[in-house]
Amino acid sequence: MNTLIKLEIQRTLRNKKFMFFSVLYPAGLYLLIAGGASSTELVKGTDLTLPLLMMVSMASFGAITAVLVGNSERIAKEREKGWVRQLRLTALPGRGYVTAKVASAAVVSLPSILVVFLIAALVKDVRFDAAWQWFALTGAIWAGSIVFAALGVAVGYLATGDAVRPITFIIYFGLSILGGLWMPITTFPKWLQDVAEWMPTHAYAALGQSIELGNGPEVKDVAVLVAYLVIFGGAAAWLYRKDTRKA
Amino acid sequence: MMEYMTTTAHMSTGDRHRTGSPVVSFTNVSKSFGDVRAVSELDLQLRAGETVALLGPNGAGKSSTLDLLLGLRNPDAGRVEVFGTTPQQAIARGKVGAMLQSGGLMEDVKVRELVKLACDLHPRAYPVDQVLEHADLRDIADRMVNKLSGGQEQRVRFALATAGANELVVLDEPTTGMDVSARQAFWGVMRAQARAGRAILFATHYLEEADAIADRVIVLHRGRVIADGSAAEIKAKAGARRIVFDLDGYIGEGALRELPFLSSLEISGRTVRIQSHDADATVHALYGLGLYPRNLEVAGLGLEQAFIAITDAATAEEAAK
Repeated sequence: MNTLIKLEIQRTLRNKKFMFFSVLYPAGLYLLIAGGASSTELVKGTDLTLPLLMMVSMASFGAITAVLVGNSERIAKEREKGWVRQLRLTALPGRGYVTAKVASAAVVSLPSILVVFLIAALVKDVRFDAAWQWFALTGAIWAGSIVFAALGVAVGYLATGDAVRPITFIIYFGLSILGGLWMPITTFPKWLQDVAEWMPTHAYAALGQSIELGNGPEVKDVAVLVAYLVIFGGAAAWLYRKDTRKA
Repeated sequence: MMEYMTTTAHMSTGDRHRTGSPVVSFTNVSKSFGDVRAVSELDLQLRAGETVALLGPNGAGKSSTLDLLLGLRNPDAGRVEVFGTTPQQAIARGKVGAMLQSGGLMEDVKVRELVKLACDLHPRAYPVDQVLEHADLRDIADRMVNKLSGGQEQRVRFALATAGANELVVLDEPTTGMDVSARQAFWGVMRAQARAGRAILFATHYLEEADAIADRVIVLHRGRVIADGSAAEIKAKAGARRIVFDLDGYIGEGALRELPFLSSLEISGRTVRIQSHDADATVHALYGLGLYPRNLEVAGLGLEQAFIAITDAATAEEAAK
């Protein structure tokens, strides 16, 4: 089991394209959006400056890339190629494959979060009153990514072949944009804001934003995330069992 | 059903290898996919130390049978037991190693890393270097899995299937894509495994492999066992030996048809080809007719011809029903 997790991490680190998109791309996007923004002026409708707001958004976006895009495509491809079948002929317990995928994605998502923080601190001089906020922020974004890891597994078991990439990207960009990761939802029209508020990505980013303000996470955001975790996790488990029966 | 049972009993003169409790036991197993009955009331037992070839035309149910044996699918009816437990449990205990055609490999990893993974997952694993050596992978151990040729991939699959001390090795068309020398090396290793007391079950399209390697051949047809015995017994069951000779002058076809134990007769020009259940008696009768056959050849049917004869007969029998 540990060997499998280690191997999954190793091969992900070797995949340069994937590492670029999950680690460097969010940091680059951060510079692009927040690079020239004022560090004192608050974003309309929030208590945060754009550099602060976008730091959480891009760290969340990077973590989602690592756990959602990586998992869904890998799982779909490996199901198709029969690697999943091959693994079922080993003594690895049935859920070992998915567990290893989620665990290794979690390890890879950590640098995506940290690199954004580093760039924000270095380039935009982002600082907090208390050091705990950095740790809490890292912990919250890292832990929250499990919701999207479950979604990645579900998509990986839902789609195959050519379909998996477009499906993944529609979900990925759709959730990212609607949840306000790319631009604050306060810039959306009212009706879209109402929709956005119930997106898992919005609750995910809101978690980090409360910590930035020095508060604990809001109950509503945690509840929304837990609800999505139950939905995505349940879908993943159901699709996994369906696939196992017919594989 | 009863008829098949008696056939099996009759065929089992090669029982010398079959000792001990069953390694694999299929009891009245059926499996359908939609309207297609892939496996039909199959009864099958394998014992320790046996090397068994599973033969059958495409669609005979070979792969489905192996899937059921390995617990990749569950039967609609009947019971599949491996070492007295479910296939899944037997696999979890590291008793079964399998190499499937449909088995893919992990990409973006080196051959050695993948083999090490298989060893780490096996409860009674061999050292990684030994597995690499046996599968002839030492030279390409540092190569990336996705950069391998078909034959090399097949050797990696073989390594994964033999990473530990299994008691049963299941191989689906194992030598597909291998060149002749790789094939010979492969069967060399498998023979050593068989001598160590493993049961080996392999499905193959290469009938000469079944002939040369298996001490028991099972022929499947439409999900049923239609023959089960040693390669020699299968050939005998198919009827027959082949008699070929030339005749000068007038060939009386009617007289030839009257020859005893004849199963088929074909005349082309001067050459007569006969298949006979008892070649000695047929040839004797041939001389008895006062004929003088020249260039007389008597040879056993190849397993391939036997196989075709048996499956053709089964198809005809089904059509007659």
